[in-house]
Amino acid sequence: MVKPTLVTNSIRSLRFATGEMTQADLADRVGVTRQTIIAIEQGRYSPTLEMAFRIARVFRVPLEKAFQYSDEHG
Amino acid sequence: MGFLEKSNWVVLVVGVPTLLVYVALVVPQVLGKPMAEVSWVQPMIFAIAGFIVANVLGNVVAAASNPAEADKEDQRDREIDHFGERVGNWLIIAGSCAALVLAMTRADHFWIANAIYFGGLAGALLSSVTKIAAYHGPFQKW
Repeated sequence: MVKPTLVTNSIRSLRFATGEMTQADLADRVGVTRQTIIAIEQGRYSPTLEMAFRIARVFRVPLEKAFQYSDEHG
Repeated sequence: MGFLEKSNWVVLVVGVPTLLVYVALVVPQVLGKPMAEVSWVQPMIFAIAGFIVANVLGNVVAAASNPAEADKEDQRDREIDHFGERVGNWLIIAGSCAALVLAMTRADHFWIANAIYFGGLAGALLSSVTKIAAYHGPFQKW
């Protein structure tokens, strides 16, 4: 449960680059709660693959542009 | 704070006082009276019924405080819920096993009922604490 995720993301910068989209707006468009978007942005939760694709699709970017996988410790 | 997290806070806010009231009513009797004279059935019924009713009312208040969020649930909520329930279930099982052993050894009904009651309530409280911790800390399923 407490294992830190190696998945990082650029959601915050993508939101600002997309007309300063709010976390609530993104949550509505992805179909999750605002708390989940906050947890993903802060690296406290790794989304499922499907949720990750939905987030990337909102910003019209490839998955790798929204999410990155660090192999520093792996 | 989302509705489901509020709902878990309600369990704690309601569960701990009902447990304390029950303990305050019954423990002094256990310490000062013969077991046959201890009045525990009514306090336990009130504690269980009070917990259920207060829990429902607390959830209604939590939902009314932000109706738009009240029926929202996503993958993370479901994962946290399953994880918390799994952790809490250990105490419910422990309480049930204790009750089983007490019944096999022909212990007084008081001890059997209380093993089930404390196991169930402790399981619910642990489950809620686990979920609240998961909402605030890192939570990874994979």
